[in-house]
Amino acid sequence: MATAFKQAFRGLRSNPPRTALTTLGIIIGIATIVLVVAAGEGFRSFINSQVDSFGSNTVFVQTRVPPTTRARNAGSTTPGPGDALIAVTTLKNRDIEALKTLPNVADAYGVVTGQKIVTFGQNSKTAFIFGADVSRFNIDKGVLVAGRPWTEAEDAGAEQVAILGSDIAKDLFGEDDPVGKTIRVGNYNFSVIGVYQRRGSFGFSNDDQQVFMPLRTAQKKLVGVDYLFFAIAQVRDSSAAAAAAEDMTLLLRANHQITDPDRDDFLVQTQEQGLSTFNTVLAGVTFLLVAVASISLLVGGVGIMNIMYVVVTERIGEIGLKKSLGATSGAILREFLIEAAILTLAGGAVGVSFGAFLAFVVSKIASSLGLAWIFTVPITGIVLGLGVSLGIGLVFGVFPARRAASLDPIEALRYE
Amino acid sequence: MEKILIEVKHLHKDYKTEDVVTSVLRDINLTIASGEFVSIMGPSGSGKSTLMHILGFLDRPTSGDYLFEGINMLEFEDDTLAAIRNERIGFVFQSFNLLPRTTVLDNVKLPLLYSRKSRDEQAAVKALESVGLAHRMNYFTNQISGGEKQRAAIARALVNNPSVIFADEPTGNLDSRSGKAVMDILQTLNEQGHTIILVTHEMDTARHGKRLVRLKDGQIVGDSAIPDRIRAHDGVELQKTK
Repeated sequence: MATAFKQAFRGLRSNPPRTALTTLGIIIGIATIVLVVAAGEGFRSFINSQVDSFGSNTVFVQTRVPPTTRARNAGSTTPGPGDALIAVTTLKNRDIEALKTLPNVADAYGVVTGQKIVTFGQNSKTAFIFGADVSRFNIDKGVLVAGRPWTEAEDAGAEQVAILGSDIAKDLFGEDDPVGKTIRVGNYNFSVIGVYQRRGSFGFSNDDQQVFMPLRTAQKKLVGVDYLFFAIAQVRDSSAAAAAAEDMTLLLRANHQITDPDRDDFLVQTQEQGLSTFNTVLAGVTFLLVAVASISLLVGGVGIMNIMYVVVTERIGEIGLKKSLGATSGAILREFLIEAAILTLAGGAVGVSFGAFLAFVVSKIASSLGLAWIFTVPITGIVLGLGVSLGIGLVFGVFPARRAASLDPIEALRYE
Repeated sequence: MEKILIEVKHLHKDYKTEDVVTSVLRDINLTIASGEFVSIMGPSGSGKSTLMHILGFLDRPTSGDYLFEGINMLEFEDDTLAAIRNERIGFVFQSFNLLPRTTVLDNVKLPLLYSRKSRDEQAAVKALESVGLAHRMNYFTNQISGGEKQRAAIARALVNNPSVIFADEPTGNLDSRSGKAVMDILQTLNEQGHTIILVTHEMDTARHGKRLVRLKDGQIVGDSAIPDRIRAHDGVELQKTK
C-alpha cells in the first residue's frame, strides 16, 4: 500500500501544472459544496439569533381563518385578498390577561401593527407601527439607547408616545436626539420617549425601521381595532414550552368557545415549531445548491478520468517494466486508483479550504452589515467534501486503472 | 553436472493476426543448468526475444512444455507467474528502463516493493555495492551516465537474489567502454554463481558467455560451448555480493 502511495505521488509530481488544472473542476465543486453548507449554517445561526432576540422561550399566538369558513384561504395565517371581510377579530386583550394566569406562562403581550406616514419637520417616511403592551419590555431583548419605556398608565390611557427604531430615528432626526421631540404619525402628534439600539434585522419586519407605541394607542387611534393581530408569550422553562403551548391552546379554545379543534381561529407555535419550517426550507435550498455543485464535480470527475487515461498511455513502458519486475495486475490497478484518489482528494482538500475561505468572507460581509452571522464550517461539510472527492477519484479512476492493469507486459515493454 | 534450471521441450509460439498465423518459435528444445552463462544469438526476427520472454514468464508458449526447476510453469496463474518473476528472475533491458524522477536506490528497491517476502532495504544497497554503484544511490536517474544506468538496472535485477538473470541486448545502447564494464559485471556475477542468459545479435557480445545458442527463423540452429571466450575485465573494481 505504501508502495502504491509512493508511486502515485511520483506520478503526480511529474507534471504539476497539469495536475493542478485537472483538479480544478473538483476544487470548484467541493468549494461550492462547503460554501453552501457553511453559509447555510451561518444563516441558520443568524436566524436563531433573530428569533432569540424576540425573547428566549417564547411562544407565538397567531390568528388564522378557521378552516371551512372560507375555503380559499382556509388555514392561512397571512391575510389574502378579500380577507378584510373575514378578519379574525377574536383574539382580544383579555385573552392575554388570561394567558398570563397559566402556571407555565411567565408573561405575555398582544400586538397590533399597521403602516402610517411618519413626519418630523421636512422629513417624512412611511413606517410600520408596532403597538404592544408593557409586558413586551419584559420579554423582548431590544435595548433602549435613549429615553424610557412607556408605562402601563400611558397604555391604559392610549397616550400618544412612541419609541423609534434606530433607522427611522436616523431618517427623521439625523444625528439629533429625538427624545422629547414631537413627530406626526398618521393624523396624530406623538411625543418621542425613547430610541432603540440597532438590532440589525432584515426582511419584512425590520425592527430598526418601526415606530413602537402602547398597544391601546395603536388599537384605538391608528389601526381602529379592538382585537390583536398576534401575541407573544414567554414560558417559564424551555422544557415546558410544548406543554405551555398546549395549555395556551386549550385556554384560548375555551375562551373562544370552540369545541372542534379543527375550527381553531388561532395557532400556537413554539419557537422550535416556527424554526422547523425554516430549517426544512433551508435544507431544501442547500440540497438544491449541492445538486448544482455536483454537476461541477461530475465534469471534474470526467476530467480526472481523461487525464488518467493520458497518464496510463504515458506510462505504458513503465507498466511493462513493473510487470516484468513482478508487479501483479492488482498492484498496477491499485497504484493508478490511488493516484486518481490522491489527485481528487488533494483537489477536495484545496476545495474545502477555498470554500471555507469564501464562507469566511460571506460571514465578514454579513457581520459588517450588522447581521449576527457566525462563521462556521460544519464538520459534515468537510467530511462530505473530502468523501465525495475521494469517491470521485475511485469511481472515475477505475476505468483507466483497469486499462493499465490489463496491459500485456510484452506489448508494454515494446511500447517505447 | 549442476542441477537443471530450465528445461524446454517441443516449444512452439505462434502469433495470430487477422487470419495470418506467424510461427515465431518452432520446436525449441533447450536445457540450461544452474550456473551457466548462455548467449542466445540470432538476427532480428529470429525469435530470440520471444524465447527470452517465455523463459522469463512474461509470455506463454502456444504449445510445448517448460519446466523451471522441475515445475511446469504453464499450470500457473498470471499472479503466480508475477510472483515467480519477482523472486526468481532478474531482467536487464537494452534501454535500462529505469523510472524517471526517482533515485537510483529507489529504482533498485522497486522489485522489493512488489515482493511477498519481507522487504530488506539493505538488499538494495548490497546490490548497488556489487555493481560498484553504491556512491550513486541517492542520485536521480537523469543525473548518471548510460553505463551507470545499466549497472543500476543490473543491481535492480539482483536485488531479490534471483535464480537467473536475463539480459536483453544489455550493451546495445552503450559505448564500447561502458559496454565492457557491464559485460564484466555479468561475468563476475556468473562466477559468483548466478545463471546468466544473454540475448544479443552481436557475436562480440555473445562471446562473453560460456555457451552459444544460435537461433534462426524460430529454430535452434546451433548449441555449443564458446571456445574463444572474451574476458571483459577492464579494471572496474567489483565487490562480492555475499
